[in-house]
Amino acid sequence: MGKKMLNFEEQCKIVNLLKSSSEQKSIEETLTEFFTNPKLRHFNVCYSLSLLLQDKMMLSSTERLVAFAILHRSYSSQKSAANPFISFLVNAACDEGAENYERAFILHLLGFGNSNSSKEFLKQSASEYIKKFDPSSQTFPQKEQLQKQYLEKAHPEPYACLLKSTAVKNVLADPDVPPGCDANSAEFDLEPGAKSKLGSGDRDEALSGLIANLSLEGLIPHWIRPLPPRFPVDEELVWLNPDNNHELQWDQGMCADTSRGAAVRDLIAKALRGPLAPNQQEQVLVELANDPKLVYHCGLTPRKLPELVESNPLIAVDVLIKLINSPEIAEYFTVLVNMDMSLHSMEVVNRLTTAVELPKEFVRTYITNCISSCENIKDKYMQNRLVRLVCVFLQSLIRNRIIDVRDLFIEVQAFCIEFSRIREAAGLFRLLKTLE
Amino acid sequence: MDSRDSSSSSVPNRDGTAGDDDGVLSVTAALAKDAALYFQSRKFAECVDVLTQLKTKKEGDPKVLHNIAIAEFLRDGCSDPKKMLEVLNNIKRSEELAHASEEQVESGSDVGNKVTSGSKESSSTTHQVSASHSASTIYTAEFDTSVISLNIAVIWFHLHEYAKALSVLEPLYKNIEPIDETTALHICLLLLDVVLASCDASKSADVLNYLEKAFGVGNVSQGDNGNILLQQSTNLVGKLSSVPSSSLVSDASTPDLAASVNASENPLSRTLSEDPLDEMFSTLDIAGQNLSRSADLTSPKELPRTTVDRSIFGVDLKLKLQLYKVRFLLLTRNIKLAKREVKHATNIARGRESSTALLLKAQLEYARGNHRKAIKLLMASTNRTDTAISSMFNNNLGCIYYKLGKYYTSAVFFSKALSNCSSLQKEKPLKLFTFSQDKSLHITYNCGLQYLACGKPIIAARCFQKASLIFYKRPLLWLRLAECCLMAVEKGLVEGSRPPSNRSEIRVDVIGKGRWRKLLIEDRISRSGLVDSVGEDDWALGGDEEPKLSLPLARQCLYNALHLLNCSDSSHLKCLLPSNSSLEENESSDGASSKNPNHKSLVGIDSKPSTLSVGLVNSNGDFKEPKAGTNQEMIHNSVAYFADICRKENQMMKQALLANLAYVELELENPLKALSAARSLLELPGCSRIYIFLGHVYAAEALCLLNKPKEAVEHLSIYLSGPNKVESPFSQEDCEQWLTEKPIDCEEPNGGGGGAATAAKNPSPEGMQEFMFLKPEEACGTLYANLAALYATQGELDRAHQLTTQALSLLPNSTEATMTAIYIDLVLGKSQEALSKLKRCSHVRFLSSNLQSNKSS
Repeated sequence: MGKKMLNFEEQCKIVNLLKSSSEQKSIEETLTEFFTNPKLRHFNVCYSLSLLLQDKMMLSSTERLVAFAILHRSYSSQKSAANPFISFLVNAACDEGAENYERAFILHLLGFGNSNSSKEFLKQSASEYIKKFDPSSQTFPQKEQLQKQYLEKAHPEPYACLLKSTAVKNVLADPDVPPGCDANSAEFDLEPGAKSKLGSGDRDEALSGLIANLSLEGLIPHWIRPLPPRFPVDEELVWLNPDNNHELQWDQGMCADTSRGAAVRDLIAKALRGPLAPNQQEQVLVELANDPKLVYHCGLTPRKLPELVESNPLIAVDVLIKLINSPEIAEYFTVLVNMDMSLHSMEVVNRLTTAVELPKEFVRTYITNCISSCENIKDKYMQNRLVRLVCVFLQSLIRNRIIDVRDLFIEVQAFCIEFSRIREAAGLFRLLKTLE
Repeated sequence: MDSRDSSSSSVPNRDGTAGDDDGVLSVTAALAKDAALYFQSRKFAECVDVLTQLKTKKEGDPKVLHNIAIAEFLRDGCSDPKKMLEVLNNIKRSEELAHASEEQVESGSDVGNKVTSGSKESSSTTHQVSASHSASTIYTAEFDTSVISLNIAVIWFHLHEYAKALSVLEPLYKNIEPIDETTALHICLLLLDVVLASCDASKSADVLNYLEKAFGVGNVSQGDNGNILLQQSTNLVGKLSSVPSSSLVSDASTPDLAASVNASENPLSRTLSEDPLDEMFSTLDIAGQNLSRSADLTSPKELPRTTVDRSIFGVDLKLKLQLYKVRFLLLTRNIKLAKREVKHATNIARGRESSTALLLKAQLEYARGNHRKAIKLLMASTNRTDTAISSMFNNNLGCIYYKLGKYYTSAVFFSKALSNCSSLQKEKPLKLFTFSQDKSLHITYNCGLQYLACGKPIIAARCFQKASLIFYKRPLLWLRLAECCLMAVEKGLVEGSRPPSNRSEIRVDVIGKGRWRKLLIEDRISRSGLVDSVGEDDWALGGDEEPKLSLPLARQCLYNALHLLNCSDSSHLKCLLPSNSSLEENESSDGASSKNPNHKSLVGIDSKPSTLSVGLVNSNGDFKEPKAGTNQEMIHNSVAYFADICRKENQMMKQALLANLAYVELELENPLKALSAARSLLELPGCSRIYIFLGHVYAAEALCLLNKPKEAVEHLSIYLSGPNKVESPFSQEDCEQWLTEKPIDCEEPNGGGGGAATAAKNPSPEGMQEFMFLKPEEACGTLYANLAALYATQGELDRAHQLTTQALSLLPNSTEATMTAIYIDLVLGKSQEALSKLKRCSHVRFLSSNLQSNKSS
């Protein structure tokens, strides 16, 4: 798909132009005719011509002059340094191996030296120019001088990719002549009408073929860009297993009897205000046992817990045990641990410790609160009672290995010493010592 | 108040003794009972009739409305599930609204309480309590709507909308305790199906653990012990104070120390009981004697649910759970344990044919790489007359043949499976189950993979596009689509791209004849032209329009995949952190273990910032019960292992994605973006050597295109061992390892595992065949050629010349290497050598100029 440099119209235009150079038309006329076509892409045309010019054999001498003139004319409205082919022109002018008339012609084009800047010389045809060329009339400057004059203000190399900027011409001469023959010999030129022989060829055919196929890109070094591998298929294939059927569910709660639930809710509300009668208490416990979900709907919230603990510790224990898997249990514990110390709260905690596994942190905090309550109480009698209670409670916890004494050793020891006048505290102290 | 009354008693079978004092209630209760009976015997028309009567008596009762909706939907043949969802959501919303207003009233009256009881509370606790209050609002509301929510989730599940089903189920699961047993069980089972279907191992583990604990059917592997345990603990729940001690006390838990303490305390307790005031002391004493808090039974989570409708218990549920466990283990690729558990499942089934068990067994063998055995098992299935089953059967056979490398056979089975699916759709009457049984999109995904393997990118892309309706969140789907694009471009199937022959050969125009003959080397390898010919396509996902495969589409897909992968990475990270925590950590640091997802959801507390809850969770984590412990540990390990696999797979996928992205950007001539993709690739931790190689080659080319030859050389020269000697960037083993990155057995990494494991560890020849990539020596050649190109542009022609010779000896057929060699010859002025290289190269096509000009015009 290498992009063709020239479209069909441009190809025809160039071929005609080159042909017309051999006619007795002035170069100026040819140029004017050529540039009247606004659709020409100047750069592409010029680049093609420059490629053809690089091959010394491909174009005839007159064709070459016209081609050089076009290279120059295409960009003549700008400063010479802006001409992308200026260095090509300068190099051609300095090419020692080139014909002198060609070099002189280029110097004329460039308006070098004192040569009249008028375009008089273009008014003749190319062949006339060659014929009239006087080698002695022309001096050839050094390359450096030309470069200085025409390239000095040249723009830096336009940006091009590294690989592409080093492109070389992608046309190779591959003369197909019998071995030992000189490919440059004119004997191989196809003569009109003559029978073609081995190694002969037609220059015009080659020329139009080249013009048709030239591409903007030259030959460049090539980079291998490996295609990444496909991702391995491992567990990716979908294996199918039968689904479980999930049916739509009937709501059994529709119009269900709620009287017993309501009764329990009423009783719980009552239980917050004061102790329930034994038969009421029994009713609550039975109903809660019958319906394990009822506990979630009996109207109890964490904030109401302290009242229930104080009024009906047994119901509180039962409810808390049933709520142990509730997401709210942590809040119930928080409330319990922070409520005022009392016989009932201690009883609730004690019963809880024997029934379910309580968070260690909760038990620890609770004990700390117990101890500080004992210390802060003012009434001596009440203090004694509370201390004895706490001591028994602690002993129970230790014996049942609900707590690890080591966690609270110092605290409990200090407590025992402070209240050593109380018998139970002394007992607890002895128990601690045995565990040490 | 009405709604609250009805809501607070959603436990079934309590309406036997309706209040005689209330005539209306008894009439409605009778009607409700009739309706329920009709519903159970699937007489939906009659059921609706009864319900309509009921509706006139209980105007606006959401539960009546709900049951009417359900019955009508079933009566009408489940024709419009989307509309049903709308109806259910409306009912649910109205019930929630009713509740919210009620809660508000209650909270207003509670303010007084709060003040009195909160005297000792610190400000933080007060805050907590009030926070908990708002939580409880949701909580009761969720409870009241649990059945309706469950039904909404059921419909989403059948429509394969797992994320939506999950969003409904998760809040229910978090507050599962208050929900009645039957509904709770349905919720758990549905949730398990949903999370398994969405490949969420850690959530599956949670639900499995919970089911086993709460429903007491977990320890299947311990034979029938579970039942005994269940009864005992029922006892315990019933009468806590009087534990039947002797039978339950485990001897080990009464060591000498406790006994001696007990003895020494006896006098004390006697004296204490003298105190007439404190009856509590006696209770303390009792508690002291009953040292029966055997951890087996009373650790909170061991309280089994006791009042579940027995009909759903027993062997059926046991088998079901066992199969779930196998599915979970297969998901987490814990093959060894899956094998064990499948055996247990067979034992439970006791000879009854279970096609699920059979398919799972086949899947197990398939996962182990025993493809023949898997086929045999599938063939043994007797249930092939069922359309749904036979579609699965065909699909699974297709998977096996794919793995055997027989892509065309697998294609036959996949298309059979698809036609099964379409005939399933035509079956009447339509059932809700039919929707979920339609797995055509899953099968279509498999088809896509198979077409890709057969080298048919366009039809493969069409399959992936269809499957994107359900798989759009999987990064792998997008990677596959990108691969389709690349393959299509490679094969010249994309508008503006060259046919494949043009890529692999040098085309030379022969111009003129005789002495005028010229050879014009066409630079067909250069990629310009591909870019501008392909416009940006707005391909709508899931649209009917066929995707136009192109490089920009490939890029888009790769970005999608990377984005999804990064999302899942960050979420994976979240689950991964705690999964590394071991048992010691649980004991030592409370803070760290609070993140543990396992424990977290066991209790159902998500993120309530209470130290107490952490403590509670923590004590749960103690390994007092060895049996359940191993089970739980096994599940926990599987989750951690699977997370590891997923992380590894994601790493691999990221490598592939970035490499593809770098490649696509180079193709699209965006060297800067290509460079950044290649650099990210090289920065990936644990990157395979294959992808490191690609990263360096792509980065070097991008730098080259950016005119930074020095840096480009740096990328390639890391493979240079001498001035002109390249080392192999990767080995054959690296390729094999890449194909079998994932280990098979998690239990014993170095254990024997039998032939299966070893077979699975070595890539099958089919697997290698599918891995179409450079051989190590070709990779060497690539490096030589690229270094040569690089040095040639730098003017180091002699060096380039030497390198290119090496490159050509390794890659004699590479057009790129040949072109570089010719280039170097031409620059060196050796046009004859260039000519002879050109004529020697087997990949040159000489075209006469006449032909060519005809073609081009």
